[in-house]
Amino acid sequence: MQFLQILIDGFAISSLYGIGAIGFTLIFGVSGVLNLSHGAIMVMAAVAAWAGAGDLGFGPYGGAAFGVTVAVLTSLVTYGLVVRPIQTSTRIAREEREIFVLTGTLLWGIMLQEAIAYFFTSNPKTVLPLIPGVVSLIGVRTPAQEILTAAVAWAVIGLLWLLVNRTKTGRVLLAASINPRGLTLLGFEMSTIYFYVWALYGLLAGIAGVLLGAFLGVSSDNVGQLTASAFSIVVLGGLGSVGGSLIGAYVVGYLETVTAYLIAPSIRTIPVLLLLVLVVYVRPQGLLGRR
Amino acid sequence: MKLSPVRALLAAAFGLGVTAPAFAADPIKIAVIAEASSISGAAIPNAAKLAADEINAAGGVNGRMIQIVDYDDHNSAADAVRAFQRAKNEDHAVAVIASYVSEVVLALEPWSGRLQLPMITPGAASDDISHRVHADYDHLKYTFHGYLASTFLSDSVCDGLKTIAIEQMHAKTAVVMSEDAAWTIPLDAEYLKCVPKVGLQVLDHIRLSPDTTDFTPVFNKIEALKPDLIVTGISHVGVQPTVQWHDQQVPIPMVGVASQATSSTFYKDTNGAAEGVIYQTVSAPDVAVTPKTIPFTKAYEKRFGITPAYCGYTTYDEVYYIADAIKRAGSTDADKLVAALEKTSWDGTIGKVEFYGRDSDFTHAIKVSPEYIGGLLVQWQSGKQVTVWPTNVANAKMTFPAFIKLPAK
Amino acid sequence: MDNRKSFAAILIVLAALALLPFGVSGYILGLLTLGFYTAVFAMSWDLLFGFAGEVNFGPSFLIGTGAYTAGLLNHYAIWPIWACTMAGAGAAVIGGLLLAVPALRLRGPYFGLVTLVAVLLLQNMIVLFAGTTGGEIGLDLPDVLAVDDSNNYWIALAFMGISGLLLFGLSRSAVGLILQASGQDAVQAGALGFNVTKHKLAAFCVSALFSGLAGAMLIFYEGTASVGTVVDIGVGVQVIIAAVLGGRRTILGAALGAVFLIGAGEMLRPLGELSTFVVSAVALVVILFVPGGFLGAVLHGERR
Repeated sequence: MQFLQILIDGFAISSLYGIGAIGFTLIFGVSGVLNLSHGAIMVMAAVAAWAGAGDLGFGPYGGAAFGVTVAVLTSLVTYGLVVRPIQTSTRIAREEREIFVLTGTLLWGIMLQEAIAYFFTSNPKTVLPLIPGVVSLIGVRTPAQEILTAAVAWAVIGLLWLLVNRTKTGRVLLAASINPRGLTLLGFEMSTIYFYVWALYGLLAGIAGVLLGAFLGVSSDNVGQLTASAFSIVVLGGLGSVGGSLIGAYVVGYLETVTAYLIAPSIRTIPVLLLLVLVVYVRPQGLLGRR
Repeated sequence: MKLSPVRALLAAAFGLGVTAPAFAADPIKIAVIAEASSISGAAIPNAAKLAADEINAAGGVNGRMIQIVDYDDHNSAADAVRAFQRAKNEDHAVAVIASYVSEVVLALEPWSGRLQLPMITPGAASDDISHRVHADYDHLKYTFHGYLASTFLSDSVCDGLKTIAIEQMHAKTAVVMSEDAAWTIPLDAEYLKCVPKVGLQVLDHIRLSPDTTDFTPVFNKIEALKPDLIVTGISHVGVQPTVQWHDQQVPIPMVGVASQATSSTFYKDTNGAAEGVIYQTVSAPDVAVTPKTIPFTKAYEKRFGITPAYCGYTTYDEVYYIADAIKRAGSTDADKLVAALEKTSWDGTIGKVEFYGRDSDFTHAIKVSPEYIGGLLVQWQSGKQVTVWPTNVANAKMTFPAFIKLPAK
Repeated sequence: MDNRKSFAAILIVLAALALLPFGVSGYILGLLTLGFYTAVFAMSWDLLFGFAGEVNFGPSFLIGTGAYTAGLLNHYAIWPIWACTMAGAGAAVIGGLLLAVPALRLRGPYFGLVTLVAVLLLQNMIVLFAGTTGGEIGLDLPDVLAVDDSNNYWIALAFMGISGLLLFGLSRSAVGLILQASGQDAVQAGALGFNVTKHKLAAFCVSALFSGLAGAMLIFYEGTASVGTVVDIGVGVQVIIAAVLGGRRTILGAALGAVFLIGAGEMLRPLGELSTFVVSAVALVVILFVPGGFLGAVLHGERR
């Protein structure tokens, strides 16, 4: 019984971690950026969806769509206002860009977090569930929203796979993540590619944020934790590897769930941190890393 | 006073004024230190300003106006210490009303002694606040505990459980669930004593990390024990466990201390999942605990659009009895003010406020008993906070959402 | 600017600062005291990042290790402050060596993550053993450095002055140059015959020593040790922002950035909740438009 419970809950939370982390790794693969405002963008989406469904009167579906739209816009603003100026700045030495992008996105994340806390308070918000109620799944009472979360996450992952493998845009994105310079030589405008990648990233982070908001609820205080968890998953799976991130998400999701159920909820994240240190020592490129 | 060049330079550089001697007509400054971005925290400056405006409209204190100086501590002990120093040295506040978080208040307590600046907390609960005053009175006598100490909060919940859990719900067993924080250590210790005493068997005692976001494993574990009741001690968490309790349809009622539930925005923040939750408080919007309660709630709602969180009531009273103590002391001198505060007997919105003396373990904590300050149990019903206990002031009977299964008679 | 002139300038500024308690209010002294301790955090970080090139997201791992070791010894063993502070600094050096091992193997974001994890683990341990450490509640200390604002200020100033001179001297010495060379290209520095490993280990130890000392002294100034003041990721973020704002690879810039950050946070207090937003926005604008930081901008003409 408890085994089934862990299986179901772990699956939902892992799927959620998965789409959040895929966006994060995609950006790193294509443009070498570790976006430390990741958590803030997810929380933006959730809070926008909450406000959209409630105060703005869009209803649950309209609210969810509004949340995702806000995340896409925020993602593009992050790129245009913070990341791109640093990457194209002539005053910053090439080998220092990485730390500048890290610091810049970190500061931007703090600004978003403070803005959310200012306008909506730091009290947690829960997005109106798209499907209320519970269903019995192999004898385990499961909220319908939890099943929806896993289903949507996997639908998104499937669509992403189709995009990358079956469309021209997708193939260009894939190529960009492997060899950006080669693409420029072929006559592709990197700035257009970056635009698409950041829009796609915003979409993924937005969906993850809204789902998380409906499943567990989020507050502006969770920003740092969400960024750290995406960062950990991505390093575990191998920076830049989409498949690796997905595996990383399931490892983290299940390890946390098993710990919470079988040992104690209060030490939920500790085994994950220890595993992470171990992996980084033994296999620094992560489970499926390329380098 | 001669203005030294360095001082003038620094004053210019920091854009800060230079201290001037106080005149009789200068306002009396009361500092308020709280976390502005949380609902409980925001109620503190709001209620303080409301009280100050009323006192000033009525002529102030001995002809002097009360001015509230408001600091945001971002829920950080370091920021709070900095604000406290500023309140004393720069803004020359005569008293400080500080925070609803025990950790912050315990960090401020030694500073209140070192800087000899009286401080009252409107919302922190840890017993240690008053125990420390008792242990080192000469140094720490400047600290007052203007809210129920954790032990008294537990006792208040247990009193209520006697009626609503035993007599009305016919409950026999309970699980104590509280967050891991300073204020819940004495709270839980007392729960574990008083809950069995009223006739409920405690099946388990769960302490959860305040960082928890996924409560599924917790509720799962509780449900497996099949208790009739969950007795809560939560403040830093609130919205998430409530929503998950509702979404997962955990069939066990929650009763106890749940600070976030005391604000009227809680219903909206939880999308209505609060329905059926019962929480302990000292004042509620629908009950005239004293003749002052409802007028205050109305005025607060009119000005800020929401009902006050629990520490709004205590803060409002605190501004009044600080003003009263200044009037009685005839001075804003710290030692005279402390002496006057110790003699406080104030009919406020939460009841009659008096402080325990030096002999009590709870030195400078507010007295708790039916003739002073009792407690209420309030339930969220159809988006309204209605009092369900004590029976003589209750406005409604308990009702629960359909997924709750009450014990058979 | 040659070294002798720099040192003379530093000494003059320190002497001027030492006279402040005769002219300004206790409140400003309190603010500067906090600024000075933060300055030591930021200078230590700058030595590790700016010179040795190690992306350390976890300065608060070293700070917190020093602070909690000192705090626990004071609380339970009632050791005198100086002994606790020394023990705290020693524990921080051990922590620094623990961090140095992965640093020698890993690069860039991977090492960054290890430092982040180190902070999270320390924080989790403190919370988990709340019965001993005080957990999120914080640990109250029987002793404080001083109650009087001026004395506290002088202690902090002397501490910052000595730390700053030592760190600055180190950065301008041959060791500093070797560190800088190995930070930019470890392989090349090794090929030139420098012992990169030894120098990096030394950088970690020195950075940890000062971080630990400053962490321990800060808690004895405040009279309480809490996760929020010496361990939280937010503390580390503030240290990094201070160093980047002031100008990396300058040591002194880090101190400037730290005092500015503490001062700005306080001056913007009337903005209430928005003050953090504004400070972050200002820092973002600085790194976008003046990437060299304050001191970098001033020295720009002289350097190139």
